[in-house]
Amino acid sequence: MPSGVFARHFCTSLHLTMATLGEAKQMILDPAIRDWVLLPIMVVMLLVGVLRHHITVLITGTPKKPQLKAVRESKALMRGSQLRAFRNAIPPHAFSSRKAFLTEAYDQGKYLKNPNAPKEGVPAPNPMTDPDMMEGMMEGMKKQVTNMVPQMLIMGWINFFFQGFVVIKLPFPLTLRFKSMLQSGVDTRDMDVTWVSSLSWYFLNLFGLSSVFTLILGDNNAAGAGVNDMAAMGGMAGMASMATPGQPQDFNKIFMAEKENLMITSHDWELESIEEKVLRKYGKSTGITASKTPKSPEIKKELTVKDKIKAAQKAKKRS
Amino acid sequence: MTRLDFEATSLELQQYRQSGERASERVAYLASRIIKDGYSAKLQDDIWPFYEQAVAAALDVGDFRLADECIENLKRRFSNSSRVQRLVGMRYEAEGKLAEAQKIYDAILEEDESNIVGVRVLVSKRQIALLKLRGLKSEAIAALVSYLDTYYSDAEAWIELCSLYLSVHAYQKAAYCLEELILLQAANPIWHLKYAEIMYTLGDYSLALKQYCRVIDLHEDHLRGMYGIQLCASKIMANGEADDTTKALKELATERILATEVDQCTIDSIKQVVREYLSVA
Repeated sequence: MPSGVFARHFCTSLHLTMATLGEAKQMILDPAIRDWVLLPIMVVMLLVGVLRHHITVLITGTPKKPQLKAVRESKALMRGSQLRAFRNAIPPHAFSSRKAFLTEAYDQGKYLKNPNAPKEGVPAPNPMTDPDMMEGMMEGMKKQVTNMVPQMLIMGWINFFFQGFVVIKLPFPLTLRFKSMLQSGVDTRDMDVTWVSSLSWYFLNLFGLSSVFTLILGDNNAAGAGVNDMAAMGGMAGMASMATPGQPQDFNKIFMAEKENLMITSHDWELESIEEKVLRKYGKSTGITASKTPKSPEIKKELTVKDKIKAAQKAKKRS
Repeated sequence: MTRLDFEATSLELQQYRQSGERASERVAYLASRIIKDGYSAKLQDDIWPFYEQAVAAALDVGDFRLADECIENLKRRFSNSSRVQRLVGMRYEAEGKLAEAQKIYDAILEEDESNIVGVRVLVSKRQIALLKLRGLKSEAIAALVSYLDTYYSDAEAWIELCSLYLSVHAYQKAAYCLEELILLQAANPIWHLKYAEIMYTLGDYSLALKQYCRVIDLHEDHLRGMYGIQLCASKIMANGEADDTTKALKELATERILATEVDQCTIDSIKQVVREYLSVA
């Protein structure tokens, strides 16, 4: 397609219109600009978006599945915190047996993803060597590449052929501040703000087409995502920092912390004086029980604090 | 035949999917209408969960033609999916070919550990239910234990395991399950009640009494709880270990039980139950 020829033709026509009608404070755009610049940019962006959606779908492999072992690992951790949160609801013997079981399980790493892995003193594994991590990073890279490359190409195309084109006039007035947004690439001080340059038209499309894509391709499409694009561009600089949040958590350490938490939790059974509570609820409390109840919890609390300190010391000695 | 309101129907089906309500007859009817009236293309991407839902409902009501049609469609789209295989297994189950169904479930679970977790959960549940149905209690218990080892927080699985243990008279283990349930859902009086009853069966009357009191604490005038208190208190008194509180509790329970208003309808149904029991015995 001899677009270069066309482009030159448009340029001259634009200059002509501006020159002849500029003095009359009225500018008319050649309809050819509409047919050969404005609409093509939009159509190309639309098609590229659709194409990109399909390419992304193709190269994005199946979504990463959460592994069974990982589920087990996190649920085991939850079990510990659940026990600590509701420990007072179950009888003392039940609590102590669970406490013993869980502390031992945590200690030996029974619930770890790979219980045989070396435990302490080993630095966190290099994300590059972990295939899971590698895959995750590759996925991100792929997405970014599919995001970046077509946008850069389109931008280059527009810059090369349609630089300095004024392509459309907005039908509503705007304040002067929009000038830099709507007329990038056209350095005129006096032109009305409602005129939009080709480069700005590109940006408007980039951000504005996402709802059109939603209409064509449904939700969660990978086509438009102009905002994501921007985020990706910003992220390019911080590529190095992007790798860090994906660092695998050291579950062994978390388990050890949970173990210590469990060790220092004491048990204060809720049902210790439930009989009196029920009797009081029905207004049947006897004099003896009423005088008994308030004392007992206080003594217990003191004991529990001591217990906690003792248990903590024990735990320290062991480790 | 009236015209089917497609919008309303698809919305209704979607609601059933989300709530998990097992309105199989309604779902099967709506699904067959949608397919017959040729609306299936209109569902677009929703067609796949729709088919899955339709299969389960159709199997529930014994509509094998509908189920087969949906399974075929799903197979054509997802040729290698364990989620579809599960439906095939359910098809076997509905036909009564339990061994075949078992084979399918076992194959899915063995296949690879990286199967999508959600599907694994569903298949594990089917497998356990099937083992239970076939009367293989020890296998079912083993499967449930290994399931709970991973999905610790599944309360329904714990209660299932508890009832399995009860059915083999393993009361200590059943009690363990209920302790877990109490840890998971501490405010549910039913778990406390069941725990109390197991403790009563085991002969730990003082703990049972406490648990019954907990039931009353959580659910005022719970008749079964009151009755439990009464029984426990009298057992403790018979053993000669009762203090004032126990006596007071017994009095309270007796009073509350007697104060319970029972309408004629309930009495009749109770009489019916007793009569049936006596005629069998």
